[in-house]
Amino acid sequence: MKVTSNAARLVSQVLAGEVWPALADRHGFRVGPDGQPFSLPGMGGVTLGVHCGDPATGYAADHLEPGASVRHRDPGANMALQFLTCVGNQVRVESGPAAGAVGHVIGQHAYVLADFAGADMAGITTGDQVTVIATGQGLTLAQHPAVTVKNCSPALLDGLPGGTRADGRLEVHVAATVPAEAVGAGAGMVSEYANTDLMGAYAGLDEDLSLGLEGLRIGDIVALEDADHRYGRGYRPGYLTIGVISTGQCMLFGHGPGPSTLLTGPADAFHVVTDTDANLASWLHGGQEWSR
Amino acid sequence: MSELRPVAMNLLGVAEHPELGGTPYRVDEDGRSYVPAGDGGIVLGPRLGESVFARDADHAAPGACLVHPDQDARHALTAYSCIGNQVVVRTGHAAGARGAVLGQRGEQGRVIAWLAPEDLARMRPSDQVAVRACGQGWRPPGFPGDVTVLNLDPAALEVLPVTAGDEDGTVTAGVRMTVPSKLAGNGIGRPSVGWDLDLQLGAPFRPEDGTAGLAPEDLLLGDLVAVSDLDARYNMGFRRGWLTVGVLVHGASPLPGHGPGITPILTGPAGALRARPDGAAHAGLTEAALQRLASTEL
Repeated sequence: MKVTSNAARLVSQVLAGEVWPALADRHGFRVGPDGQPFSLPGMGGVTLGVHCGDPATGYAADHLEPGASVRHRDPGANMALQFLTCVGNQVRVESGPAAGAVGHVIGQHAYVLADFAGADMAGITTGDQVTVIATGQGLTLAQHPAVTVKNCSPALLDGLPGGTRADGRLEVHVAATVPAEAVGAGAGMVSEYANTDLMGAYAGLDEDLSLGLEGLRIGDIVALEDADHRYGRGYRPGYLTIGVISTGQCMLFGHGPGPSTLLTGPADAFHVVTDTDANLASWLHGGQEWSR
Repeated sequence: MSELRPVAMNLLGVAEHPELGGTPYRVDEDGRSYVPAGDGGIVLGPRLGESVFARDADHAAPGACLVHPDQDARHALTAYSCIGNQVVVRTGHAAGARGAVLGQRGEQGRVIAWLAPEDLARMRPSDQVAVRACGQGWRPPGFPGDVTVLNLDPAALEVLPVTAGDEDGTVTAGVRMTVPSKLAGNGIGRPSVGWDLDLQLGAPFRPEDGTAGLAPEDLLLGDLVAVSDLDARYNMGFRRGWLTVGVLVHGASPLPGHGPGITPILTGPAGALRARPDGAAHAGLTEAALQRLASTEL
């Protein structure tokens, strides 16, 4: 993105995490939109075979978290890991057969979600230790004071197309625009943690549930209409939030593929360009480090 | 299937003490810090029938919030307690006082117990309150099969402006106003038993989002409100052509994504469940009605 930022003034912090197990309870089943019971994988652990650019929905999964789901054992350290880690930050595996592999953060979902190349991912499992080089919180755009940046690494900002336009607005490329009706679980939560589940993306279910979002892909950059994420996630007419789809298929009602917040501000501060290539996969080449 | 009779359970609630973290501040939707007063515990001042925006407070509910020290028991207390259930204070200065459940709140779970102001004023955190929980799973006779009733004591239906058995078989609820599902905030995607739904009715509210001629300030604690395109049978979520009706049980919140909260009581397809906007003439759940429910000998 061709934009002036304070990236040179930001620091990086070295954080530690652990690939967290998938969790269940002895009752097993949860409930879908029509009361259908389900017990499906997707959250926690290492979810294989779904990467940026792949469809977000259409899997027999619930709260699908692509790649490795990472937490810290200590509650305070975990919140630091969750709040400070940004999309695009590097993640290095420290233990297990995949030690040394480097991937990237694609979002947050009460876990830090890290995508690695498929061959590396195959060697990662629950309990593996990882290091996150956290940088990005505090990023500001001097020429766009109305736009708040969060959860966005300077490397990702560089990689995004668009930038400052002659008319002063910030050009942003998005793969899809999301109506306010789609905002599900995550409303009212802070916008540096977890993400905004989008309803209306239940592939294979009835028309009355659809908001036309079944085509979302993991890694898609999306625009949320009438959403103000500056101080949390709330409905505000005339505001716009730009996020990246970091989680996929849900069966749990009121949930769905979710964007992690990247940019938010008054809608008239943005110039939105619909661009089917607006996906992390376009700038994240097989897990190689991005150029700065 | 023959009608199943509801059962009642005596559950124990404990009057909550509010909790804050190491910093007192929260951040409102415009980025201003504030200290949250009234978010849980025993709250004196708010009354049913006053505007949900009448107080400078955060999620303040008119009554005592009941919890349980064991988290699983707290979830059960919240999920099984229903609007109109009788409560009896068992310990402390208000021992013997009777009230009724006004609604529930989410996250870890809270039951909002309404008590007469003079009784409420004699309570303190940790007072024990028995709740006669009854209503989940109840199907009122004469209701169409696709309208679900939840969070409602069987005795409470008759004190509310809800009628069944209309000529066309529908259920009609008198409401203050109907709001669109895009105003649904915290509570969306969460279970409709044991979690309220906050309505994002803050400053940016637009006239077309509500009933003509009414402002958000016209919403009163105890009002019935309808939310269009919302299915609350299990988790709450968007479903085109559905309707959910709830009772406003707590006041506004400065937090983005939060606001006055409803405990849902009716949900169904709009063809079977109808909301009748009564505007200024609406009367929802009143203190007099709760007093009657509280003093009924069972």
